[in-house]
Amino acid sequence: MAVRVLMNQVWFTALQAVGLVIVLAAILSFLVISQAVRELGRLGATELIGALMVIAIVRELGPLLTALIIAGRSGTAIAAELATNKVMGEVHALEGMGIDPVHYLVLPRFVAAIVSVFGLLIVFDLVAVFAGFVAATSGGMSGARYFDIVLQSLTFTDAWLTIAKGIVFGTIIGLVPSFHGLRVQRSPTWVPIAASQAVVTAILAIFVCSALFVAVTS
Amino acid sequence: MTAPLIFEAVALDDPHGGSVSLEVPGHQTLCIVGDGGSGVNRLAPIALGLESPSVGRALVYGEDISRMPRAAALAFRRRVGYVPAGDGLLQNLSLWDNVALPLRFGSTLSPREIHGRLRIMLAAVHLSERDWAMRPAMANPEQQRRASLARALAFDPDLVILDHPFDGIGNRTAAHLLEIARGGETAEGARRALFITGQSVPEAVRSRIEVSCRLAKGRLTVDS
Repeated sequence: MAVRVLMNQVWFTALQAVGLVIVLAAILSFLVISQAVRELGRLGATELIGALMVIAIVRELGPLLTALIIAGRSGTAIAAELATNKVMGEVHALEGMGIDPVHYLVLPRFVAAIVSVFGLLIVFDLVAVFAGFVAATSGGMSGARYFDIVLQSLTFTDAWLTIAKGIVFGTIIGLVPSFHGLRVQRSPTWVPIAASQAVVTAILAIFVCSALFVAVTS
Repeated sequence: MTAPLIFEAVALDDPHGGSVSLEVPGHQTLCIVGDGGSGVNRLAPIALGLESPSVGRALVYGEDISRMPRAAALAFRRRVGYVPAGDGLLQNLSLWDNVALPLRFGSTLSPREIHGRLRIMLAAVHLSERDWAMRPAMANPEQQRRASLARALAFDPDLVILDHPFDGIGNRTAAHLLEIARGGETAEGARRALFITGQSVPEAVRSRIEVSCRLAKGRLTVDS
């Protein structure tokens, strides 16, 4: 049954957010690269587009925006759902039946958040690179040159940073809203407060961790 | 024989500074009624170790669950049936899945065995097959209470704690649910010991309750 909860969470957190992530990644990447092609082209430094794509979008903005999307969308849902479980006496009933609420309610959401952030991160990066290709070729750059300079800028660090950020941001999105949701007292007025506190705390934690990643890897 | 549930000078933390000392005898039904401020609402959670009293202790089969490590307390609670106030059914699960929950999480039964046991349990509480797929929000209070009782009896416990089980249901259903909870008669009395709390008890079930108590102004008095 925990597997079913996990699948439901992945469905809501990852699959239903794919469209939003694709649109944001495409727009962001297209805007940045189309401007960069024009401005850097004037300076004769179009090879910097690769570094811009990899460092600014794939390494920093991609994970950050993906995590913010999921925190805003699923973090509030997790906090509100668990707070409602608590207010309705369902958490109390689970404990009374000998079922660990952390095992049944938190663990599937935690795992689903990590899987979802990681999966959507990859989607974001792929779409961003492709949208960058469209922007670059629209600006007069050849497709082969675009992929050449982007691939040259990609390093092993980008791969493990993607994995590490997926795990860290997923952990934040899985645990922070769960904590706020289960912390409420038995009053319905606490549900929106828990949701609001959860998303604010999660976003703050994501920004702080993002800064720490930069500090550690630079 | 040790009583399955004992309250030893459990402080009610009510304005009157009252406390409760009593034993729920095996094979009998003990009911405590009291109004909202009497502290009666805390007795079932205290018995299961979900709340800790400031003074005193509650012993289930001789053990104080509130002092157990978390994992041991969770495992121990599976030996006790529990119908929480408000039923505590998970709103995102069907009645079938709600009743299946303790068996899926707390037993080593195969899915086929669980399926078979669920059919028997749901039939025993008179939930028809068309009710099984309903979410709690779609079910009426009587159907919800029947599902909650079926869930409490999943492990066929010897002790069942029912917190406000008669709220919002009719006399006939109350009497029927009490009979199911008692589990039939043996030479020593009912097959299960029941501890019931609530604000009132329907007339139809009074004759089936061996010990009836009232909690008011911090004092526990035995009616019968």
